[in-house]
Amino acid sequence: MSLLAILAPVLLLVIVLAFVTYAILFERKVIGWMQNRIGPNRVGPWGMLQTVADVFKLLIKEDVIPEKADRALFKLAPAIAFVPAFAVLAVIPFTETWKFTDFAVGLLYYMAVSSITIIGIMVGGWASNNKYALLGGMRSAAQMISYEIPLVMSVVGIIMTTGSLNLNDIVHSQKHVWFIFPQIIGFLVFLIAAVSELNRTPFDLPEAESELVAGYHVEYTGFRFAFFMLAEYVYVFAMASLTTVLYLGGWNAPFGLTIIPPIIWFILKFLLVVFFLFWLRATMPRIRVDQLMQFAWKVLLPLAIFNIFLTAVLKEVPGIGHFY
Amino acid sequence: MNLSGEFIAFFVLSVMAIGGAVFMINMQRVMHMALALAFTFFSIAGIYLLLNAPFLAVIQVLIYTGAISILMLFGIMLTKHRYEEKSAVARWQGVIGFIGVACFLGVLMWTIYRTPLLSGQGNPKDFGIHQLGAAVFKEYAIPFEVASILLLVALVGAVILAKREENECS
Repeated sequence: MSLLAILAPVLLLVIVLAFVTYAILFERKVIGWMQNRIGPNRVGPWGMLQTVADVFKLLIKEDVIPEKADRALFKLAPAIAFVPAFAVLAVIPFTETWKFTDFAVGLLYYMAVSSITIIGIMVGGWASNNKYALLGGMRSAAQMISYEIPLVMSVVGIIMTTGSLNLNDIVHSQKHVWFIFPQIIGFLVFLIAAVSELNRTPFDLPEAESELVAGYHVEYTGFRFAFFMLAEYVYVFAMASLTTVLYLGGWNAPFGLTIIPPIIWFILKFLLVVFFLFWLRATMPRIRVDQLMQFAWKVLLPLAIFNIFLTAVLKEVPGIGHFY
Repeated sequence: MNLSGEFIAFFVLSVMAIGGAVFMINMQRVMHMALALAFTFFSIAGIYLLLNAPFLAVIQVLIYTGAISILMLFGIMLTKHRYEEKSAVARWQGVIGFIGVACFLGVLMWTIYRTPLLSGQGNPKDFGIHQLGAAVFKEYAIPFEVASILLLVALVGAVILAKREENECS
């Protein structure tokens, strides 16, 4: 048992790294196809080794630390950004038996721990001692704090229905109806806020290439830069898992197709969410910076609160009350 | 003294919390201080977790390590970030400070030792988030609402202050 307890997180880390490697390739391929290109196809068969080559290139690059940077914080920031990204995976239940903890407040744990990454990003931007990095870091922090509030509010409807913050209980209560149907408003708010939390297009203002060079990691090179990128993609993994667990029924099989093992269902739903993120990136332009905050506070937050009221009211309506 | 895992964890977390606080006082740059403080907050969340209070621990991380630390960092980023010059402290100031702190510690210890400790152990299962929710929204509904009104008033006050400054500029 104790051996498994040590090996399982290592195995998860390996799986996550493999996911990140091929998610990046898949993202470039999908965007390529959508833009009528082929995408990477030179390194290895079908471009399979493209990301491996890219990561190898990053690792053997010179590690540059700017002269006027705050050296200690500059080195610490990528670690602060990455560790929470992996720590949040501890509470995600992949199937009935494949999970790490049965934490009573798993959902809040995810939200709380993921907010520590913002500190890493801000510190990285500040320690670089570069105005573009500082601007990127500030933008990132402002955006992530603003969108965290609708993100948390949008899942309150689910908590009210389930009566629990435990992610296992949330999946169990979706045996018959996935929460995407009764909680459709909450789902839309959650999805938009989640894309923004991930700093992905159309909310990629913190690293808007055309305005800020590269945002908070403009001074980072080599493996430190790779760590920031890794944190970003591990969050894609975590957020897609969380969306699956919260709204798409986790490992529950639709239409009673229990012949297919639960982990396959989980992976299928998970990949659907990941594909959606790539699809969005290929099709949407970037939102304007002055509209960004307005959208979070004046559109998403009222919608999320409306969803809470709606859930509370519909809970008492006979006939459909048992869905809520 | 038996070395249980809980004791070791408590020891490590306490050292982290106190170490963070000491660093916070001794650091030269404001940014480092804020980070040391965030580290202390995070260690305290770990102690809450040891005490079977997962909800409190998570809220501690969400509010203190997350929101408040980020707010502080945000404020610091907008100000100058050169080395703060350490003001020279006279010898007698140090002595008076030491005496004051020692007196405070004495009073604190005296109060702690006078307080009768509740005997017996509660069952952590009786104090889950369900019970917490029931207590806050049923027994203590009015204090809870009053606290939220207080926060709302503070929010409106902050908005008014910010608005006035804006009007003076234009």
